[in-house]
Amino acid sequence: MRRSIGLGASVAVLTMVLAGCSSGDGGGGGGGGGGGSDDPFRVIAFTSGNQTPIGAWWVKAVEAKADELGWDLTMIQGDFDFQKMNPQVESAIGQGADVILDGYTDVAAIGSIVTAARDAEIPIFAMDAATEATDAFAVNITTDQQGIVDGTLEALTASLGGSLEGKNVMVIGHDPHPGIRMRAELALEDLEAAGATIAGGDVQKVKSPATGRTEALALVTDYLTANPNGLDAVWVGWDDAALGASQAITEAGSQAKVTGSDATSEAIAQIQSGSTFVATANQPWPEVLDTVIEEITTYQETGDLPSENYEAVDTTIVTAENASTITPSDKLG
Amino acid sequence: MTTTETTTTTTVAEVPARQRTSIGKFLVQGGTTIALLLLIVFFFAMRPDVFLTFTNVRNILFQVSILAIIAGAQTLVMVVGDFDLSLAATSSLAGAVAASLMLDGRPTWPAILAALVVGLLIGIANGALVAYLNLSAFVATLATMTSVTGLAYLVTEGTTLFNLPAGFNSLGQGRALNIPVPVYVAIGLGIILWALLRFTTTGRKWYAIGGNVEVSRLSGINVQRGRLLAFAAAGLIAAVAGILLAARLGSASAVQGSDNLLFSVAAVFLGMTVIRSGRANLVGTMVGVAIIGVMSNGLNILGVNSYVQQVVTGLIIIAAVTLSSVRTRER
Repeated sequence: MRRSIGLGASVAVLTMVLAGCSSGDGGGGGGGGGGGSDDPFRVIAFTSGNQTPIGAWWVKAVEAKADELGWDLTMIQGDFDFQKMNPQVESAIGQGADVILDGYTDVAAIGSIVTAARDAEIPIFAMDAATEATDAFAVNITTDQQGIVDGTLEALTASLGGSLEGKNVMVIGHDPHPGIRMRAELALEDLEAAGATIAGGDVQKVKSPATGRTEALALVTDYLTANPNGLDAVWVGWDDAALGASQAITEAGSQAKVTGSDATSEAIAQIQSGSTFVATANQPWPEVLDTVIEEITTYQETGDLPSENYEAVDTTIVTAENASTITPSDKLG
Repeated sequence: MTTTETTTTTTVAEVPARQRTSIGKFLVQGGTTIALLLLIVFFFAMRPDVFLTFTNVRNILFQVSILAIIAGAQTLVMVVGDFDLSLAATSSLAGAVAASLMLDGRPTWPAILAALVVGLLIGIANGALVAYLNLSAFVATLATMTSVTGLAYLVTEGTTLFNLPAGFNSLGQGRALNIPVPVYVAIGLGIILWALLRFTTTGRKWYAIGGNVEVSRLSGINVQRGRLLAFAAAGLIAAVAGILLAARLGSASAVQGSDNLLFSVAAVFLGMTVIRSGRANLVGTMVGVAIIGVMSNGLNILGVNSYVQQVVTGLIIIAAVTLSSVRTRER
C-alpha cells in the first residue's frame, strides 16, 4: 500500500514536472515568439565565419542589436568548425528559442541545425547563407551575385578599352564558398559570351581561403612565366586572392587588370592608388542585417513570417571614382 | 685473430659493393632524389621553352624560400625526435606582431626584433612543455598552435594589416643581382643549419637525442636542454619566415602561410628518405622542399587543376616514404 502511494506520488510529481517543462508555446520554442508574450524574446545566433573581419563585425553588431531590443541572445561562434558549432546550436535549440539567426553559414553545412529547428518549429532567419531560395530559412537575404559579376566585368571592360572580345582573362574562384563559386561560374559564362578567352580553359581554383593570396600569387606568376603577356585581365571572386593576383601582375611587369569582391580596405587602397586593381564589389552587410532584424522584429510582434524566403540585394561596384566614399568591409566594426 | 679481422672487413666491404650493383636498391635508396630529377626532366620535356629558364627557376626559388625556412626549423625539431605543429602559426604571429608594431609607428628594426623575440619565446615555451614537463610534442605544440593562432587574431583584430613601410616590404620583395632577397635568406639559413647539425657539438648531441634519449642521457648529454634549444631555435627561425612572408605580401593576417605546416613536415619526411640512416637532415629536407616547389610550379605551368595537384603531391609523398620504409626494412 505504502509502495503504491509512493508510486502514485512519484507519477503525480513527474506529471507536474513534465507539464511545467512543456508550458509556454510548445516544443523547443521559448516564451516570446510569434506575437506578443512578455517573456524575453529568445534568439540563437550563430556564424561559422567569426574569424573573418565581416564575421567578427556581424557578431558584435548582432550583440549590439540584441542589447538594444532586449533579446535574450545566445551567440555561437563556429570558427569554421561545423563539427563543433552544429551540436552547440542544436543543444541551444533543445533548450528553447523563438528565432534562430544564421550569419554567413551556408545552408549545405547546417543540415542538422535545419532539421532540429524544423522539429522545434523555430524559424531560421539568415543572411548570406545560400545563393538561391531554400525552404530551410524563413528568409535569407544575400547579395546579387549576377550584379557583382555584371559590375566587375563592366569595370574590367572599361579598363581594357571597351571590349572583352579576344582578351585573355583568368578567372579565380574557391568552390567551398557558395557565393564565390556561383559568381565565378557566372563570370566564366559572361566572359565567354563576351568573346574573351579563358586562361587555363576553366575557373582556376584556390584551395584555401587562408592561403588565397599566396596561392593566387603563385598561380598568376607561374601562368605569366609560361605565357609572357598572356593575360589581359584576372577576375577574382574575392579581394584577398585578387590582391595576390595583382601583386603577381605587378612583379611580372604585366599590364593586366584585376577585379575582386568584398571591398576590403587593402583592395580599396590599391584601387585608389591606380594600380592594376581596378574594381571590387561592396556588399551592403549593415543594411542587410538591419533588414533581417526588421523581419525578426515583425515576427516577434505579429507572428508573421516574411512573404518571400529569399532576397538578393544590389551591391556597389567600387572603382577609383567612388573608392573614397566606401566604408571598407573590414572596418565595419 | 688477425685473420678473423681481415675476413670481417672484407665481408663488410662487400655489402655496399653488392648494393651499388643492384639497380633496384639504387632506385630504392636514391628514390627521392631520383624523383626530383625525374620531375625536372618531365616538366622540362613538357615545356622546354619555359621550365628551366632563369625566370622560372627564380620563381621556383622565390616560391619555396619561405617554406624552406620553416622546413629547416621543422628539421631541427625532428632531429631531436619531436615535431612542432605550431611553426606556421608562430610565423603568422611573428609577421602580425611586426606589422602591427610598424603600423603603430614603431621603427622597422625594433618591430622585427620584437617579432623574433615572440618566435623565440614560443619556441622556448614549446621546448619547456616537451622537455621539462614531459608533454608529448604533439599535444604541447597542438595546444600552442591553437593559442598562438588566437593571439594572431587578437594582434590583427581579425583583419589584414597592410600599408607596411617600403623598407620592410623590400625584405620580401626586393632583389639583389635579380634574385629575390628571401632566396638569399633561405640559402643562408640553410647553410647555417646544415653546418650546425653537421659540424657542431650541439648538432651531434641533437642527433644523439633523436636517436636514443636514454643512451644520450647515460652518455652525459643534457637531453632536456638539447630539446629545449631545438624548439627555441625552431621558433626563432619560424619567426624569420613569418617576417619575410609579411614583407613578401606587404601585409599580415592571422592565418597566412598556414599551409606551410603540413608542407614543412612533408618536406622533412621526404628528406629523411634521402640519406641511409633515414633521419631528418637538412640537405634531404631541401630536396623535399624542391620536390614540392617544382611540382607546384610545373603543374601550374601545365595548367593542371589545383585539386589534382594536391592529390599528386600526396601520392608523391606516399611513394617517397614507402621507398624509405622498404629501405629501412632491408637494412
